[in-house]
Amino acid sequence: MTAFQSTLGEEKDIAGELAENQRAISIAEFFEKNKHMLGFDSGARGLVTAVKEAVDNALDATEEAGILPDVYIDISESSNYYTLVVEDNGPGITAEEVPRVFGKLLYGSRFHKREQKRGQQGIGISAAVLYSQLTSGTPAKITSRTAGSEQAKYFELIIDTDSNEPEIYAERETTWDRPHGTRIELEMDANMRARGQLRNYVKHTAVVNPHARIELREPAGEFKSERATDQLPAATEEIRPHPHGVELGTLIKMLGTTDSYSVSGFLQEEFTRVGQKSAANVLSSFRDRQFGRELAWSPPDREACIEAVHDAVANKSKEATETFAVAVADRVREFDRLCHHEVAEAAAGAATAATEETGTTFGDTVQERATEAVWPLVVESREADCHAIVNDATTSRKDEAVVRALARRIAAKFNADIGDDETDDDNTTDGRDRLTYDTLRGYVDRAADTTVERDEVAVGDTAREKITEGLWEIGREVPDDPPKIREIADDRDTAGRLLRAMEATDVMAPPTECLSPITDELVLAGLRKEFDGDFYSAATRNAAVHGGDPFIVEAGIAYGGELESEGSVDLLRFANRVPLVYQRGACATTDVIKSIGWRNYGLDQPGGTGLPNGPAVVMIHVASTNVPFTSESKDAIANVPEIEHEIELAVREAARDLKAYLKKQRSMRKRREKQDVLAAILPRMATKLADVTERDRLDIDDSLARIMNNVLIERTIEDNRVKLVVENHSATNESPELTEIVSAEPSGISDGASVVEMDGEWFIEWSPTVESGSEAVLEYALDGTGNSNGNNDDDGGSDEPSFDLDVSGVESEKVTVNAAPTTEPSSTTTTPPTPSTSE
Amino acid sequence: MSTDTDSDAETDGDDPKAEADVQDNEARERLVDLAAAFYDQFAAGDVPTMAIPTRTKSNIEYDEEAGVWVYGDRESSRSANSVRGARKLLKAIYTIDFLAQQLAEDRSSTLRELYYLSESWDEKEAQFADQDESNQLVEDLEIVTSVAREDFHMRPEESGATLMGPLRLREQTRRGEREIHCQEDVGEGGYQIPNDPDTIDFLDCDADFVLCVETGGMRDRLVENGFDDDYGTMIVHLKGQPARATRRITKRLHDELDLPVLVFTDGDPWSYRIYGSIAYGSIKSAHLSEYLATPEARFVGIQPADIVEYDLPTDPLSDSDRNALENELKDPRFQTGYWREQIELQLEIDKKAEQQALASRGLDFVTDTYLPERLSAMGVL
Repeated sequence: MTAFQSTLGEEKDIAGELAENQRAISIAEFFEKNKHMLGFDSGARGLVTAVKEAVDNALDATEEAGILPDVYIDISESSNYYTLVVEDNGPGITAEEVPRVFGKLLYGSRFHKREQKRGQQGIGISAAVLYSQLTSGTPAKITSRTAGSEQAKYFELIIDTDSNEPEIYAERETTWDRPHGTRIELEMDANMRARGQLRNYVKHTAVVNPHARIELREPAGEFKSERATDQLPAATEEIRPHPHGVELGTLIKMLGTTDSYSVSGFLQEEFTRVGQKSAANVLSSFRDRQFGRELAWSPPDREACIEAVHDAVANKSKEATETFAVAVADRVREFDRLCHHEVAEAAAGAATAATEETGTTFGDTVQERATEAVWPLVVESREADCHAIVNDATTSRKDEAVVRALARRIAAKFNADIGDDETDDDNTTDGRDRLTYDTLRGYVDRAADTTVERDEVAVGDTAREKITEGLWEIGREVPDDPPKIREIADDRDTAGRLLRAMEATDVMAPPTECLSPITDELVLAGLRKEFDGDFYSAATRNAAVHGGDPFIVEAGIAYGGELESEGSVDLLRFANRVPLVYQRGACATTDVIKSIGWRNYGLDQPGGTGLPNGPAVVMIHVASTNVPFTSESKDAIANVPEIEHEIELAVREAARDLKAYLKKQRSMRKRREKQDVLAAILPRMATKLADVTERDRLDIDDSLARIMNNVLIERTIEDNRVKLVVENHSATNESPELTEIVSAEPSGISDGASVVEMDGEWFIEWSPTVESGSEAVLEYALDGTGNSNGNNDDDGGSDEPSFDLDVSGVESEKVTVNAAPTTEPSSTTTTPPTPSTSE
Repeated sequence: MSTDTDSDAETDGDDPKAEADVQDNEARERLVDLAAAFYDQFAAGDVPTMAIPTRTKSNIEYDEEAGVWVYGDRESSRSANSVRGARKLLKAIYTIDFLAQQLAEDRSSTLRELYYLSESWDEKEAQFADQDESNQLVEDLEIVTSVAREDFHMRPEESGATLMGPLRLREQTRRGEREIHCQEDVGEGGYQIPNDPDTIDFLDCDADFVLCVETGGMRDRLVENGFDDDYGTMIVHLKGQPARATRRITKRLHDELDLPVLVFTDGDPWSYRIYGSIAYGSIKSAHLSEYLATPEARFVGIQPADIVEYDLPTDPLSDSDRNALENELKDPRFQTGYWREQIELQLEIDKKAEQQALASRGLDFVTDTYLPERLSAMGVL
């Protein structure tokens, strides 16, 4: 016993002790122990993450201020530590804000906003500060200058991990050469083992931020990326939440703080894309959930209806009663089916009409009694109506007797519930056949279970579902007013019903002003800038939604050129313009790329699955107000089906262009090979033929052009008129651009060509369109030049004009140029025209 | 072309050499004309093309007038449009050059020599990859120029087939004319048929019919048993699928000496094709059918019916045998009641027999019983 007592006493002490030990953990302290969650799990990675956070902030700040970003990153090694400096030309941060921005975790301006930004939670840069102070013991050194200020502000600060508050070591004015901007200097225990990732991060950042100038200096070298465009990304706008993207807690919070009084007003006021119509739809869906529907049955017999109303009405003249009863019956008969409140409406309408006609007043009580008299007659149709629905919903194989029995049992549930409800105040059918979908399903299930038991037939889930659906369809929305905002806010169940109603209602996708895609043009520009390929393609999808957050996926592909052709393609992943460096294998983008059959698109893919091989870079950018990451360190995009789907479509779109390009390359290569072989064989054939037949040498260019389906261009000179004949032997129309460079002044130039003179040479440019199988003749005259008299046989003529023809706009493989002056023996020299750039 | 050669054969002129030269000039001209056609196509800026009849079973049709099978209307073209076609044409032109030269110099060469000769051509692209290619090309040229290979002075490597029987002939040899009696002036091996049988004149013939024999063993048996003497038989040894010269001389024996032609082979589908090429013309040289085929030739055996009737030792049909028989049922040349019946019978009994199987009844059975019976039944004896 004593032992027990003492134990009890002791226990109390332990509890007390435990209670004493309980205390709040500061968020800073928590992250101090969980650095890995923020991407600071090792020295190598910590440095990359710190750079990343600082650069993200720099880019966000400059863009917000409408400034073209100019970011400078410097990493230097000093004794055992690395010093990281990141400078930007942003708007600067006011002296009051600096300590909190850098010295307090979870301090930021964007967490509550639905807007596409790089940083969101306000953890990143302060986490870097925290990491720096933990590993090196030195404070962060921050310099910031706002535009127009005389001096810059200089701070040295650390984060007090107990209180998650900044602790300022030094604060003073300083001079700085930048007119505005922010500079942060962090010393940390780190290493450069992740140099590859660091450089990739900077390079990839340059790809998706073609408007930024970024410079990186580190102990082993430097990297500089100039801007490819002066166009800032479109400014984003904050949007209100979308009805499909809120959680219950958020909704309740919003209900609590809204100024709106009605649900409809609240929906339209607080959510994006909700207008009167959507609000009405949500409300209707909400009423169905909140109040249920009133089922409508076939109207009763007219005579029976008149009689019932007659019996129900007392103390009125016979004629007036008759008029009222007939009016009620006629109105009731107008319906195909009617529910309880429609009967009441019919009675009210009849009352007004009868009052007008007879002068006798039929008040609320009479209307109510009439309604209660007619409703039981309506309800008599239940069984027949149920039968029709059950019959439609079940297979024809079902026995008629079983169908009838099932319909009867379902109909009977309504009656049974009236009895229950008289004692129970719960809001079920009320005798008015008013019920929610779930209750209705309950009736059907119970009736079906009984049928299964008694009649030994199966009534499957699909059939039950269909019957329930059929009955729900004949239900009418109730006219009751929805609960007021206050009431909903106070009742979690009601709020839940509202949330479900919002989710079930079709609402237009959220607007996309909140998003700032790079746009396919700039994706191309970015890839061109950073990767030396032969071909680039890009695709920007339209905005889509996941969980109420709009998102846009963009994809780009660079191929060929100087890109590494060994091994698999390079995959560049971006979220809100931030390169994702780590955890490639866990990322939705990687999964999607692996699942695509790349052989279809002309890339090698061992085994037909996985990352394709070849000299290619595939980039994917997901922009969203809320990119779903797999973890706080924001390294990998989570496998959200909607996003994966869009990624796939974007990549496939870009890959289609690649496929077309590769296909064309292949056919051009084949054509080149064919041309090479034929160019060797045919002249020999011609020589031999001339031999055998003892005739003159043959000119075979026409035949060769025809064989190659080529565009053949020939120059002939006759009486000072120069003719360029463009024969199109290909199957499609061709629009070559011809530039004739002639050393004598031309005149009488045909086909609206432009002429430019430069240093005694005339550049004549034509761009004819030649239909398949036809030819175009481009002409000009050379008169009064030199001693040319129409014959080119004057060997003494020293100012014989020279010609040079350049052809573009048609693939070089498809052009045969035979433009040697006629004075020379016709040869088959093919001037290789400038290769047209592929797009 | 057959008229040309035939008239040549019938010309008993004083100077056959001069006649031959005209022939050579004609052949040469036609080759050069073909080259000129290519030249003109080039000169007009067109793509040089050579159209030739498709040489497949589905593109041969019966020529009612001549009673032989010739090529139909389907043509395939060798065009410089493709790398393949251009190579073929280049080779054709080089070959034309070679043949024209050979004719001008009155030399001759074998098909195999042509193949090796191409190795010496300066243009690598014009060289032949294998002999099939050069053989085929010569056939193409034969068809397009309507000049037979022999008139290009192209010989097959060896023909080797022989004649034995009561016939006196005169052969134009390089060492002058020779008169030869095909029994008295030859050894046991018989008279060697020359590559161009049109250099032979028939002088004197005591034979009653021609018997073409597939295998050497059977031919030797007939000679040993004196069948040629006893029955006045011209025994032609086919040596398997007969060479053109063998088929040509057979046709001449029939046409000029009015001898019935009978074909005696093994009883299997491959042997029926030997008969087919003698009687109807072969698919590969259907362009020469009028010149080579003897439509009146008749099949002696071994018939599938004989296998049953004489209860000959047999081998079972292999899969390829059955396929060959099925194909023959679809071959337009074998669409006669007789062949349909025989082939269907063979498929049914699923057996084949060699000529030598007759030896199971004794060495003399074939000369004393089988052939006399068959030939009587066919109204030859």
